[in-house]
Amino acid sequence: MDGPNRAQERLEVRAPEMELIKQAQAGSRAAFDALVRQYEQQVLRLALHLTGSEHDAEDIYQEAFLKAFRYIGNFRFECSFYTWIYRIVTNLCLDQLRRRKTRREDQAVLLDHSGDEIDLLASVSDNRSFSNPARELDRKQLGEKIQAALGKLTPRERMVFELKHYQGLRLRTIGEMLNTTEETAKNTLFRATKKLRTQLAGLR
Amino acid sequence: MNCELAHEKIVLAAYGELPDDQIHELDRHLTACYDCREQREQVLALRTLAAMYPVVEPPANLVARSRIRLEEALDALPPKRWYERLSTRLVNNVASLQAAPVASVLLLVAGMGAGSLGGYEYAQGRAAHTALRPALRITAAQPAANVAPADVASISSIVQQPNSDIVEVRYNQLVPQRMQGSLDDPAIRQLLMMASEDAASAGIRDDSVGLLAAECRAGHSCNPAGIRDALMVALRYDRNEGVREKALKGLEPYVAEDMRVRDAILEALLNDSDARIRSEAISILEPVEADTTVRQVLSTVATSDQNPQIRNVSREVLSRAPEIQ
Repeated sequence: MDGPNRAQERLEVRAPEMELIKQAQAGSRAAFDALVRQYEQQVLRLALHLTGSEHDAEDIYQEAFLKAFRYIGNFRFECSFYTWIYRIVTNLCLDQLRRRKTRREDQAVLLDHSGDEIDLLASVSDNRSFSNPARELDRKQLGEKIQAALGKLTPRERMVFELKHYQGLRLRTIGEMLNTTEETAKNTLFRATKKLRTQLAGLR
Repeated sequence: MNCELAHEKIVLAAYGELPDDQIHELDRHLTACYDCREQREQVLALRTLAAMYPVVEPPANLVARSRIRLEEALDALPPKRWYERLSTRLVNNVASLQAAPVASVLLLVAGMGAGSLGGYEYAQGRAAHTALRPALRITAAQPAANVAPADVASISSIVQQPNSDIVEVRYNQLVPQRMQGSLDDPAIRQLLMMASEDAASAGIRDDSVGLLAAECRAGHSCNPAGIRDALMVALRYDRNEGVREKALKGLEPYVAEDMRVRDAILEALLNDSDARIRSEAISILEPVEADTTVRQVLSTVATSDQNPQIRNVSREVLSRAPEIQ
């Protein structure tokens, strides 16, 4: 349960954020660094899940925050800073997915910075008393199949599915982030789920 | 409803995006259509399968590496030149003035007046200046008077009389102005909106937000491009809980019709540090408790809010809302 520290944390995040943004716009590096710390986990989480690669996630993090630093003067408080940052990150992720499609780099497993495979499912605790290595292997293979199926979507379909299913954003917000309409985001989601259901039909 | 449309609505319903009035229609179709029920099962199965590729927290060393690399890149950037900083500041000021045309006219008039006066004073100063080396001099022009720092806009020159401890300081003074008008006056509204964001005193921000909120609650013109936005900014960002509470109350009439207002109130329910504000947000959201997004947030609050009373109230509201499949 949240304690007093969490309330204080909320106050520290919410109340001075506007001041931080204004200070960063005025050129304060310390203020910008504080903003980076507030959002870096979310940025990396999204980039890592989309690209499956720590190296690519690191590149996206770098480009996103450098862009934010360069263009923070354009932020007009018309939306939350979270939405603004996410818009930058999603566009960079989209570019990365398109580059992969062009180079036909399908990522079926998650790689760390030295190129070794990361077992995602090892980080997901299994509380069932009957879990066993064979079942864990099945889950791992299932996870790889899911990633492979996701890799077969178009970049836009992959992005919309990621933002909707894994990040829980509303279709209206997704449309804004991808500079399109809610209706287009909706249709893209339909196509993505239809393709995934077809590819994963044998696994049910 | 035909099956093709039903398939789309099944996906929207699975992701909490189907409007409440269409859920009942979909349920009726599903009751009668076996194929569509199968489709729904497939969509739900897809959601379960997709969870086999979970979102994980980035490893600490990835965060650290990324941060170090970013810091190095930022350190390597050349500092902005003065004209780049000036250009950025001008662009920002123009953009903010575009939203406040009356304020921009007032500032233009004030700027032209200050410029004319400054030019006149400069010419006078140059004419009275006898042959002296261009080094700074400090002389006295009139007896020093107590000047409140808050009244001083800027220091324009410091001149010392040679072989003397007399110093002349030229400064520009803030000229307090006063405007009076009704709350319907656009100029008054512009000033109130500026005060809601820029006033250093919480009391002034509280007064301005209170007046703006009262306008909205009374049903006076509270168009989305102006007052409503100012209230949402105050709710999201103001440091003072009294100001945020007034902003929240001012937004209440729009929670049903304006999704941005609803989102701002949901954010307040999740993130505001003041329990009174979070509690007020729940009350304001009750008319739209059937909205699936509202229900999702209430579910989160019902389990994770630090205040037990808020958790209880959230559960009560959830139990009253109709069951959504």
